[in-house]
Amino acid sequence: METRRGAAANPPAAGPADRAVPRPAFTDIAREHLDRLYGFCVHLAGDRADADDLVQETLLRALRAYPELREPERAKGWLFAIATNAWRDQLRRRGRRVQTASLDALTEEDDAFSLFQTIAIEDPFPYSDELHLDFLRLFQDEDVQAVFGSINPAFRLPLILTVVHGFSCKEAAFVLDVPLGTILSRIHRGRKQLERGLWEYAVERGLVTKADEP
Amino acid sequence: MIDCPEAVRRMWSYLERALESTPREELEAHLDTCTRCCGELEFNRHLREMVAAREGTAAIPADLQARIDGLLSGAAEGPTGGSGETEAPA
Repeated sequence: METRRGAAANPPAAGPADRAVPRPAFTDIAREHLDRLYGFCVHLAGDRADADDLVQETLLRALRAYPELREPERAKGWLFAIATNAWRDQLRRRGRRVQTASLDALTEEDDAFSLFQTIAIEDPFPYSDELHLDFLRLFQDEDVQAVFGSINPAFRLPLILTVVHGFSCKEAAFVLDVPLGTILSRIHRGRKQLERGLWEYAVERGLVTKADEP
Repeated sequence: MIDCPEAVRRMWSYLERALESTPREELEAHLDTCTRCCGELEFNRHLREMVAAREGTAAIPADLQARIDGLLSGAAEGPTGGSGETEAPA
């Protein structure tokens, strides 16, 4: 997919900008969003060394493009979009293909999988009053990160943007430079991979016992 | 009236507040009559909260923070480190 070049694109408008509000300094905006931006760069790049380079490249591009940003109050999405573009450019420079999602439809089996239903049927905690919550409580940070890491990046990034960083689907579509319908579809597929991944991870590591096991 | 599989398909979009009014109202009508789907919706809410809590920010390494501080200090002295572009006069 061809992506927008440069970093001057503006996030989807929320409404008329309030011209009475003074424009913040770029450094204030950068510092406000730095932690989240770095977390997103780690997700994009997959390792800390690449993330370090990526966040610096993002800030340099953003600094140059800041005069073009019409609504500084929407800078978070703008910074994330610049990071996405910078990462795609890095991949191209390295001769690596930008990973795109398979256009294959979800299989019926994948689409039908429900973690909620699976937990209810397998009943891994027979004496629990909070069966489903007890299942989620099994997962430590590293477990969730391992499962998340197994999700196709094309589906994982929309989840990261919406669930972790609180972007709307429309904003996530802007950050990743894809149509809104594509984001909705990828969130659904990512959710299904997450649900199945959590269950399979729990079974493989013996965190739960399936109903047909002794 | 939508069925349970369709209700489940719409749940994350509902939680994202990304559903248009008609599909949202159809889902809410289904939830009014289906305790199972209410349970699954609540479970999905907890699942999302768990992911958000466990996948949040990553700590910035001290050496990187120092490089970024240097970059931003330099930016603060440059032409765009301040208020950036001035808006066109009304």
